Amino acid sequence: MAHQVSVFMENKPGRLERITEILSGGGVNIRAMTLATSSGGWGVLNLLVDRPQQAKDALTAGGFAAALREIVVVQMPDAPGSLGRIVGLLAKSGLNIENAYGTVLREGQGAILVIDVDRTAEAGTLLRTSGVTTLEDDAVYRL
Amino acid sequence: MSGAYWQPEIETMAPAALRELQAARLRETIARAMQSPFYGECYGRLGLAPESIRTVDDVRRLPFTTKEDLRGHYPYGFLTVPPQETVRLHCSSGTTGNPTVIFHDRHDLDSWANLVARSMYCAGVRDSDVFQNICGYGLFTGGLGFQYGAEKLGALTIPAGAGNSRRQIKLMQDFGTSAIHAIPSYLPRLFDEFQALGLHPAEDTKLRIILTGAEPHSEETRQRLQEMFRCKVFNSFGLSEMNGPGVAFECDCRNGLHLWEDCFILEIVDPETLEPMPDGERGELVLTTLDRRAMPILRYRTRDLTSILPGPCPCGRTHRRIDRITGRSDDMFIVKGCNVFPIQVEKILMKIPEIGSDWLIVLDTVGDNDELLLKVEISPAHFTGDMEALERVRRRIIHEVRDEVLVSPHVQLLEPGALPKSEGKAQRVQDLRKKS
Repeated sequence: MAHQVSVFMENKPGRLERITEILSGGGVNIRAMTLATSSGGWGVLNLLVDRPQQAKDALTAGGFAAALREIVVVQMPDAPGSLGRIVGLLAKSGLNIENAYGTVLREGQGAILVIDVDRTAEAGTLLRTSGVTTLEDDAVYRL
Repeated sequence: MSGAYWQPEIETMAPAALRELQAARLRETIARAMQSPFYGECYGRLGLAPESIRTVDDVRRLPFTTKEDLRGHYPYGFLTVPPQETVRLHCSSGTTGNPTVIFHDRHDLDSWANLVARSMYCAGVRDSDVFQNICGYGLFTGGLGFQYGAEKLGALTIPAGAGNSRRQIKLMQDFGTSAIHAIPSYLPRLFDEFQALGLHPAEDTKLRIILTGAEPHSEETRQRLQEMFRCKVFNSFGLSEMNGPGVAFECDCRNGLHLWEDCFILEIVDPETLEPMPDGERGELVLTTLDRRAMPILRYRTRDLTSILPGPCPCGRTHRRIDRITGRSDDMFIVKGCNVFPIQVEKILMKIPEIGSDWLIVLDTVGDNDELLLKVEISPAHFTGDMEALERVRRRIIHEVRDEVLVSPHVQLLEPGALPKSEGKAQRVQDLRKKS
């Protein structure tokens, strides 16, 4: 199962910069990211990286609260309707999406969607049996 | 020494005999105190004769002594002997006005060291232990107080001083430290340093006993520290006016602190009416020294709030127990008309694993209203990346604090280590309100 790195972050200048500094210092490459903020001045930064465990360890050593979270990563055609089909499948099975973000791959290779969903294993099986291409963890980290 | 008590004949003395001893020592203490300018004038004016004291309850005939009295007669007004007959002084920081200064002669230091040794023994420290004293030396009584007590007990004592967690851990590992003393707000930081080094105190050191005190803290904080370090944590009570550490200490039962009644008279009074409170009811602790020569203090209003725990302790010690200090009458604050003690907030926070051990209350005026802002750090060990879970923690704090103190707080979640760290006692309340 693939993992993203989630980091607790206060919403104030310089924090994101500090996180990227720590990651580049640890030789970690960021593939995609999304920041979810609350109204209370804090948020959770979700990062798709090439080396999640190293990223988590470096951030923890740097004083951050960081965690690895299981995710489902799907490859989809870079075409209208692809995203709708995937979220529709999950919704029909009562699987709740906590967070999702995507990134477009090199030209012609389509796009990937990172889904933070409850019951990850079940979601992965559901998508695969419905003909959606999911990526194994090493494929995700090699993107 | 291998028995259960440091001084069995004193620690298990029958209550009636203990009261007799107190009455006799009270008479001696009054006679001695009258040689000081302050008590000489005060008791002389009242026509008080030491021999008129029959029982220990007669202490109530004496007027109270306050911190203002100590400050007002700075520096020598309470001395019963010329200053050159004393051998040590300790004093408070005195950020406003005169500090409070306490002088000791040789007898006083020896008596104090004995009380600290008795206290440490009561918590299970033995002469075979290696004791590391992780707190400020100098004017703060926790440094030299525990040093002399531990030496009297016979333990190898490491005067490590405060701070520098990495060096503390090296000392603990290199010399096989099995007991430490530190203030409660420092202990989580020490533990963090263990974690940062990939170590655990329960696996990588011989630590088995933690003595803590000097800051009022809740039972929930103790539980958290015990789970963190996986060893016993003992609460202690003392104040520099009453020597420092060694006034009251927990035994292995860890249910209340035995106050050493051969050396202090214990009273609990209503802070408003100054009338005695019944056992089990909370009031202000008032103490009288019974074995201090250079500078006896009688009926000192400590401002610390506690109660006497009724009934005997299973450990067999007959000296009565006080409950853990639930606050000081002067650290209570009033917000939106409600009286709040910081410890009420602390005991809620320390039950929540997702929250770290540091926290701060900020009182501020927003528009025309006073607001209570609670700043808490999240705990890296319990962070899962789930925003909804954090939001639930925030709402839980708001509800529980509102139920406890009747004021709805704003809660701000902070990154680990975001709150300022102090070397000494932790500052828990910051009052930025406009004074009208």
